[in-house]
Amino acid sequence: MNTPVEIIKDKTANHFYTAEKICTRCIYDERTPSILFDENGVCNYCHMVDALIDEYQTGKPEGEKKILEIVERIKKDGRGKKYDCVVGVSGGTDSSYMVYWAIKNNLRPLAVHYDNTWNTAIATENIRKVLTHLKVDLYTHVVNNKEMDDIYRSFFLAGVPEIDSPTDIALAEIMYRAADKYGIKYVLEGHSFIAEGITPLGKNYFDGKYIASIHKKFGKIRMKTYPNMPFWTFVKWIALKRIKKIRPYWYMQYSKENAKAFLAKEFGWQYYKGHHLENRMTAFNHSYYFPAKFHIDYRNNTLSAAVRAGEISREKALDEYYNNHPYLEPELLEYFKKRLEFTEEEFKKIMNQPPKYWTDYPTYKKTFEILQPFFYILMKSSLVPKSFYMKYCFPVK
Amino acid sequence: MLKTRIIPCLQLINESLVKTIKFDKYGYIGDYINTVRIFNELEVDELCFLDIRATKENRKPNIKILHEIADECFMPLSYGGGINNFDIAKQILSIGFEKVVINTAAAKNPELITEISTHFGAQAVVASIDVKKNVWGKYHVYINDGSEKFNMDVTEWAKRLEQLGAGEILLTSMDREGTWLGFDVEITKKVAAAVGIPVIANGGAGNIEHIADVVKNGMASAVGLGSMLVYQKKGMGVLVNFPDKDEIEKQLL
Amino acid sequence: MITIINYGMGNLGSVQNMFKRIGVPTEITNDINEIKKAQKLLLPGVGAFGAAMQKIEESGLREILDQKVLEEKIPVLGICLGMQLLSQSSEEGISPGLGWISARTLKFNFTNSALKIPHMGWNTVHPVKESRLIENFDNETRFYFVHSYYVKADNAEDVLTTTHYGLDFDSIIQHENIYGAQFHPEKSHKFGMRLLENFARI
Repeated sequence: MNTPVEIIKDKTANHFYTAEKICTRCIYDERTPSILFDENGVCNYCHMVDALIDEYQTGKPEGEKKILEIVERIKKDGRGKKYDCVVGVSGGTDSSYMVYWAIKNNLRPLAVHYDNTWNTAIATENIRKVLTHLKVDLYTHVVNNKEMDDIYRSFFLAGVPEIDSPTDIALAEIMYRAADKYGIKYVLEGHSFIAEGITPLGKNYFDGKYIASIHKKFGKIRMKTYPNMPFWTFVKWIALKRIKKIRPYWYMQYSKENAKAFLAKEFGWQYYKGHHLENRMTAFNHSYYFPAKFHIDYRNNTLSAAVRAGEISREKALDEYYNNHPYLEPELLEYFKKRLEFTEEEFKKIMNQPPKYWTDYPTYKKTFEILQPFFYILMKSSLVPKSFYMKYCFPVK
Repeated sequence: MLKTRIIPCLQLINESLVKTIKFDKYGYIGDYINTVRIFNELEVDELCFLDIRATKENRKPNIKILHEIADECFMPLSYGGGINNFDIAKQILSIGFEKVVINTAAAKNPELITEISTHFGAQAVVASIDVKKNVWGKYHVYINDGSEKFNMDVTEWAKRLEQLGAGEILLTSMDREGTWLGFDVEITKKVAAAVGIPVIANGGAGNIEHIADVVKNGMASAVGLGSMLVYQKKGMGVLVNFPDKDEIEKQLL
Repeated sequence: MITIINYGMGNLGSVQNMFKRIGVPTEITNDINEIKKAQKLLLPGVGAFGAAMQKIEESGLREILDQKVLEEKIPVLGICLGMQLLSQSSEEGISPGLGWISARTLKFNFTNSALKIPHMGWNTVHPVKESRLIENFDNETRFYFVHSYYVKADNAEDVLTTTHYGLDFDSIIQHENIYGAQFHPEKSHKFGMRLLENFARI
């Protein structure tokens, strides 16, 4: 029997792959969807990051000034309320630091956690430590585990890469619900294009309809506690309730490495062995499912981002990416199979079926494209993030 | 030195993990297997699972999920709920649980305690007593998930259970359960003083001081924790967690 | 490969689970031919001393076990009751033990003490002698105990660790290839894993 690591070595093209062309600045190679290189061999994703830095003045005095203005507006709009903003927490670096940042800036955040019932102890302990130290309240939505597992099973059976998207959508929905419950008008998102890079366009996509249609086709249990976000609910939150999403890291100086060190020192927060691996399902995706089935290794996003930000050398990132495989926790595959009730044979069979993509199932993509002018206005009023507008409202080439 | 055992007492209703308040309304907590994994990673002393409605709903213990739990755990385990005959107890003890917790069945059929104890040793039998204080301050024993009064003095019943062969007493205060107000130290002390076997104080823990209080002043050998391990704080969101162990040790000194 | 002796006492699944977690192959058996081929034995046990000895005698395994342990001298680890069985006798009943180690099993007896019996819960072990079985133990090392009887080795040099509960008793013992641990490693998280890993490496 092969160990999981051996299976990955077998399956990941990465380990034996010799790239024809690698961006001279980051480590994206020609396998990255929609990649283009300029005359100096720099990829379009590096240029996109540069353009965003330019637009948001990220980490520069103007950017810092802008985010502080936003902070003041949040405080003003939240006067007389118990909380003035919502911060989604997962126990990971970015969201934990976001809570700290909010407190440091005298905001009164309500932490919101979507419990997909696949948490690790490190995730829940990190949440406890940070929130206890900062005296921040927590709002949790726990999905029924049987129902969630049925959704995960459906995605696995559907053969698409976005197994984590039900959690992403649910967290977004839960943050809106919590905001609505307490009359909060702002949701702070711990996303940083500097630290995370830009996810290549084209191969990945999800929305509420995507989740519903995959679950309808492959699921067995009715969705009751899963907080999906159908189109009109989405419109309700943004256009009617006018809950705004703010991404402070887009404006300010933010270093993931510094944030980790700070959280560890101040709160006894623990770093997990890999990016986003504090949740067992996410760990399964990043460490096994993506590389083994789709030949996607998302470490290249973070590594490329770290190279662009000057946090590690390009050589070190290349070495890490091409000579090491993602960390796979022992027994994670066993856990996945056991919980989702797949036999070894079924699991292997599905892993070996040709990959499917979002274009194979119904989504709202066309609706978003038709409504592009409407979302342009919403984007201009910060009601939807720019990244949403860019990614969802234009046809994929 | 022997350490005071701090035991997460997790409530099941069939396959759902829940948390009740005063034996009544409950909130959904999540997946038992993942919660077990978290407590396993946190290296807790021991885990106790109680299917709180099994007897009332006339269900047998769910052997399938107990099997899954036992496979995940590298710590002592106990289970209670719907164990009303020797064969079921035997089955549970054979799949990796160290102890069975008996409550209603002990009242209806006291010999069951003796039978299990003789066969597997007293350490395998935890007798569970649910107590409620009436308006005049008198304690009464309740069975069947707190729905049926059992006509017996609390300490007398505890002594009787010890004689029958129970190795431990799980003493739950129905008035405090799920309230975060602290253990019922008074009744814990009474029972602990009356018996020679360990008493696990359960119901009401809201912070580390409460634990220290019932150990120091209530003579509890061990404590059961519920709400404070599954919620961030009183009235707030679900968060499976465990307090800082150093902090507990400091308080218990 | 570690051969776990199934003589009808004790919870073998948990022990096997922990070996699985640390990547050590095991087999659970009561088959004489399998035991003949064994390289390492694990003797589990929960319950009463007399009943356990009776089961071992009835199972017809006594002869082959003696041969493997005393003549071939393959490593054997007795845990909990399994450790007590290594001794010559027990105050729990009249049956003699396996007698592989010169030791006696005595009952905890605390008069004038609030200490409860059985000794149940997490306790620490204090190394008194070096051995591969207890390599890498630190001050944090603790184990889960449940027992009313304890083993007293006749020779002090056979004692690897002691544990305090009312008195200092022998919690891990070793005589040549024969090892015993009074607690339940399979229920002692990473500490138990370390002990079983050490045993697997001997």
